[in-house]
Amino acid sequence: MTQTATQPERVSTQIVSEDDVLRVEDLRLSFYTTLGVVRALNGVSFNIPRGKVLGVVGESGCGKSQTGLAIMQLTPNVGRFEGGRILVREFNNSEPIDILKLEKNGPEMRHIRGNIVSMIFQEPMTSLNPCYTVGDQIMEAILLHQTQDKDEAKRRAVDILRKVGMPNPDRIAESYPHQLSGGMRQRAMIAMALSCNPTLLIADEPTTALDVTTEAQILDLMRQLQAEIGTSFMFITHNMGVVAQMCDEVAVMYLGRIVERALVDDIFYDPKHPYTISLLRSIPRLGANRGMKLETIRGSVPDPYSTVSGCPFHPRCPAAIPGLCDTVMPEEIFVGDSRTHTVRCHLYT
Amino acid sequence: MEQQEKNDILLEVKGLKKHFPIQKGFLRRTVGYVKAVDGINFYIKKGETLGLVGESGCGKSTTGRALLRLHEPTAGEIIFDDPNLGRVNIEKLSKAEMKKVRPNMQIIFQDPFSSLNPRLTVGQIVGEPLEIQGVAKGQALKDRVAELLQEVGIRPENMTRYPHAFSGGQRQRIGIARALALNPKLIVCDEPVSALDVSIQAQVLNLLEDLQEKYNLTYLFVAHDLSVVEHISDRVAVMYVGYIVEMASTEELYYNPKHPYTEALLAAIPKPDPRRRHRPVRLPGDVPSPANPPSGCYFHPRCQYAQDICKQERPPLRDVGNEHWVACHFAEELKLQGVTRLNELPLIELPKRQTPATPASSPTPATAPAAAE
Repeated sequence: MTQTATQPERVSTQIVSEDDVLRVEDLRLSFYTTLGVVRALNGVSFNIPRGKVLGVVGESGCGKSQTGLAIMQLTPNVGRFEGGRILVREFNNSEPIDILKLEKNGPEMRHIRGNIVSMIFQEPMTSLNPCYTVGDQIMEAILLHQTQDKDEAKRRAVDILRKVGMPNPDRIAESYPHQLSGGMRQRAMIAMALSCNPTLLIADEPTTALDVTTEAQILDLMRQLQAEIGTSFMFITHNMGVVAQMCDEVAVMYLGRIVERALVDDIFYDPKHPYTISLLRSIPRLGANRGMKLETIRGSVPDPYSTVSGCPFHPRCPAAIPGLCDTVMPEEIFVGDSRTHTVRCHLYT
Repeated sequence: MEQQEKNDILLEVKGLKKHFPIQKGFLRRTVGYVKAVDGINFYIKKGETLGLVGESGCGKSTTGRALLRLHEPTAGEIIFDDPNLGRVNIEKLSKAEMKKVRPNMQIIFQDPFSSLNPRLTVGQIVGEPLEIQGVAKGQALKDRVAELLQEVGIRPENMTRYPHAFSGGQRQRIGIARALALNPKLIVCDEPVSALDVSIQAQVLNLLEDLQEKYNLTYLFVAHDLSVVEHISDRVAVMYVGYIVEMASTEELYYNPKHPYTEALLAAIPKPDPRRRHRPVRLPGDVPSPANPPSGCYFHPRCQYAQDICKQERPPLRDVGNEHWVACHFAEELKLQGVTRLNELPLIELPKRQTPATPASSPTPATAPAAAE
């Protein structure tokens, strides 16, 4: 059938910018388990411009953490990449490196990991080694990537601890993780991740395990460091409040696909995908919806072993079009004239 | 008749303390106490929801458990208005008497994964309280379990399945069905939604609200998420290091806080509005250890309004009018900032099913008739 002149433009992978530190193109990842195949990522594409913060949101099981781990090549062994590229560029003029082509434990990958791209995990207690002091663990990365001199490494470790707002950094460097509180441990993790001035920092739910007051301190610290060092961030979270406060751009994921991408303002003020809208409507909003019923998304995320035909959200979607949404996978398209706002939904084609 | 004004109070707690001993060395000598709950007073009225908030380690879960004597209280009184026995002092009851009261006080736990026995079927889990109390057996038991499961939105056919076959949200529903089994009056909800995803969280919160209305339940809602607590509670109590520092109606507490800690807590919540980015009031330092709390008001080392008296004297929880209880020496003088209302951020309308012409509020591009393929 013919469509009018305002045929929405398909998002192609042609928008290559000199400025991107990271480009992920059509990333596909599957886990072959004894119970069946889990298609964790089904063609994820996005880019992160230099010095920007990209928020990746979605419910558990949508693949947001796996995307982060894939960039670090930390995917569990049962995972198999079935397509796609992950390009990382250290400086503006340097050649992009395809991470998936590198050997997992090869020298090139070890050069990238922790040095060019580093990562902060959700649970600071389990991601620090309980047998080494905080200072030793920060020094490890510095000794590997930056300098051979132990005293110099130690000095830098204490410096970076001071930078993340640790009171008494000399003493903290000598402490073991169990001697620190949750917020302090997360600061130590951030210090470790930033010790080599990475180009890209992947933060996987960095404040989910923390209390609100500590969370506010950590977010404030990350914002400050981001402005100071100019590191690009990939901020994985499910907390819409954190997204609103921290991110420049947002990618909303559902079942291993990005369903909507836009500037943070558009996500909150002009969301398009029914999933994004439902997600925003289901959070209790302080000072806005007392006495009102919360909106819910009916059903729950489908079983990971099953495959859903058509648009993966159609069984839960309030606006699903019978005969179309349940059979045809929507393409990712630009919304209207916007060059930054993309959506994967038949409502807008 | 003399208790006319007390009649609408379901549970009253006076000076409740729970101290855990710290034991050291070969002889396990007690070298100190963790004062998890240190002399708190509050009450819950019939049919209301009291939210109990605070940071981790402030003693809110311990309080919830001590009410049901899942932890034996160290000191204090817990007075429960039992429909059959009248007003009873929970902490003094014998085991047999406690068993008579328990049907009226139930609890929902935080972690839906560890609070259901993996070796029992869902039917057995939900039916267990009925069996123990000798309420029903045989076909009657089955029917009641089916009814309960239906009530929480789980298909009764699933009665014979084991907990591992269910998702987190469904398991939490099973936990709710178990708590409902004996028609309780009071349910302690110990962080019932913090382990769930946002969309599932909304479903479970709505379910709890529906059940409250239907069965006239009273909730003690323990949580650390202040937006969730604001949504569900009629009144809110804020705890800090084992002590209630403020208790008031939800409106009062959120828009007109009187304790500096409440103010800091409210300011720290990340607001879901990108146009209103702000640096929160910085609350320096960490929560003090309940084993070694500071002198005077426990909050004074972190409080920006602290004065000399705060270091020496611990302020009692007192009513400053209109059922607003505050434990601060300067509650009347301080002008504190509450939550600002989120008015600008629009609540986007969902596009409706099968409507080519889109709803009025969101200017979506006209949907082409589904003929592209």
